[in-house]
Amino acid sequence: MINNDTKEENMSEIAEALANLEEDKVNELVKNRLDAGEDPMSLLDECRQGMDIVGDRYKAGEYFLSELIVSGEIFKESMNLIEPRMKAGQGSEQATKVVLGTVKGDIHNIGKDIVAILLKGAGFEVYDLGIDVPPQAFVDKLKETGAPILGMSGLLTPSFDSMKETVESVKEAGLRDKVKIVVGGGIVTEIVQRHTGVDAFTNDGLEGVEICRRFAKEMK
Amino acid sequence: MIEETMTSEERIMAAVNLEMPDRVPIAPLMYQFVLKQKGMPIVPLAGGDPANWPKMMDAMKEMFDELGGYDAIYAAGVTWPMSSWRINSAPAGGYVTPGDRGISRDFSVQYEEREVMTVDDYDTIIDRGWNGFLSEYIPRASGISLEQLDAAEKALLAIYKENARYWLDRKIPVMSGALVISCEMTLSLARTLPKFMIDIHRHHDKVKAALEAMIPDFIQNTIDDVEASGIPWVTFSLERGSGAYFNLKIYEEMFFPQLKKLVDAFAARGFINVLHFDTDWTLNLPYLRELPARMCICELDSTSDIFKAKEILGGHMCIMGDVPPSLLSLGNTEEVIAYCEKLIDVVGRDGGFILSTGYECPVDAKYENVRAMIDTVKRYPAPRSR
Repeated sequence: MINNDTKEENMSEIAEALANLEEDKVNELVKNRLDAGEDPMSLLDECRQGMDIVGDRYKAGEYFLSELIVSGEIFKESMNLIEPRMKAGQGSEQATKVVLGTVKGDIHNIGKDIVAILLKGAGFEVYDLGIDVPPQAFVDKLKETGAPILGMSGLLTPSFDSMKETVESVKEAGLRDKVKIVVGGGIVTEIVQRHTGVDAFTNDGLEGVEICRRFAKEMK
Repeated sequence: MIEETMTSEERIMAAVNLEMPDRVPIAPLMYQFVLKQKGMPIVPLAGGDPANWPKMMDAMKEMFDELGGYDAIYAAGVTWPMSSWRINSAPAGGYVTPGDRGISRDFSVQYEEREVMTVDDYDTIIDRGWNGFLSEYIPRASGISLEQLDAAEKALLAIYKENARYWLDRKIPVMSGALVISCEMTLSLARTLPKFMIDIHRHHDKVKAALEAMIPDFIQNTIDDVEASGIPWVTFSLERGSGAYFNLKIYEEMFFPQLKKLVDAFAARGFINVLHFDTDWTLNLPYLRELPARMCICELDSTSDIFKAKEILGGHMCIMGDVPPSLLSLGNTEEVIAYCEKLIDVVGRDGGFILSTGYECPVDAKYENVRAMIDTVKRYPAPRSR
């Protein structure tokens, strides 16, 4: 078990700059080291280490959602530099797949987008289906990708029935024992978990990532 | 049932003044729920066909009586009390109404956030103030002249005043005489939340200066609106500045000073300030002790810790809330009653509490749950410490 102090002491320069939200410095370091011929995968790992530290600082109450968003933006900029240098398929061999979307009828995207950024930063392979996603579209993507995790987002009370409907569709498709399901949103509570029959709920994006990490371990 | 010795008006004002009313007052935010119950199309406030507004207002009156009545009305009926274009026409996305884009008619009205303001617009706000920015922005972005907007909103105000008169004649307070969207919420809606967060990181001083530059016009516009409506209550829409989004350093430096300037200015004129907090503001609650005592209502939507709010703000400002939307939609009456009794026992102790829906009563709330919420305040007394 590595504690957070040790993690911070062992940070690479890129990880440290990202953890400190130094946007220009991260971009410059990534660009220079790519130009120097370094392995893109090792740079990606360093960026992920930085995101990991951001997550630790969030859990410790030092960082808030705005710092998560800014770190996600910096991570995205780094990925834009790194990805074109990666070989096809490189980096996704080990990644756990997550199908994600805002449920049918609900057009709110912000919470779902935040979770997508955080999941990518944590090394998950995310299939983001967008907003107002019908149950069958979730099922089709789960079948196509073989993803073991489904994340559904919704901000309104009528969305709870759409979540339930999607869970039913997953069951009808014979996938329920192969897929762990989490729902998220500002007003989602334990009553919603009970109503929809999902495996977990959360009101917090980073907790959503922790839940997906736990699911990934359980499904291996 | 508790013997009632006060009018609704007296009961609400006792709660605002942190006194013990004859029973806990109740002021649910009811709109879409009523439309759904009465089989009407779900539209936003001041939305849909204006020809339907009288019927919608009748539905509000009928539902009020069917549910046995409550102690205050949030917005007077089917519109907001807007008299000027200056605040309510802030640049923003738009509403998506159930039935649009194939979305089920059983859904709620949704707000679609779009990036409608640029980073350069902060400079215009700094240079020209809020009204100066909007008077240039609105015609450019919408093609509507300010004169057209003024005429449209004067018509809305006339309807609002007529609807408010109905409740006031029944001695039911109307809790909105003007609507203020907080400065940070206004900019966040116009830039989108993620962009606004990134703006603060990249252009900290510019955003701060823009927020400060908005204040003089926000104060004067609101005073104008209150004078036009004749109702000395200001409703604040507060969501985006909370600890659910931003660290307290940013809140302390950039957001809270603007809220304090607004509330101080309105309180000095005797206006009651309804601080409608959406999302989790638990971390920010201690700051509210710096606002004028007995001039504000801290209204929570069920995601903040209302019990903690009582500990922090009890004896300083009235607390309002917060029956969770999921409980009203999916719970049963026993669960609703148990939650309302807990609210009355803890937050209602010694007064200073108005029981309400957390945010708006959900469109798909169960009728029997709403009825149970209202009935509970009428039979379950709040405890006194002495």
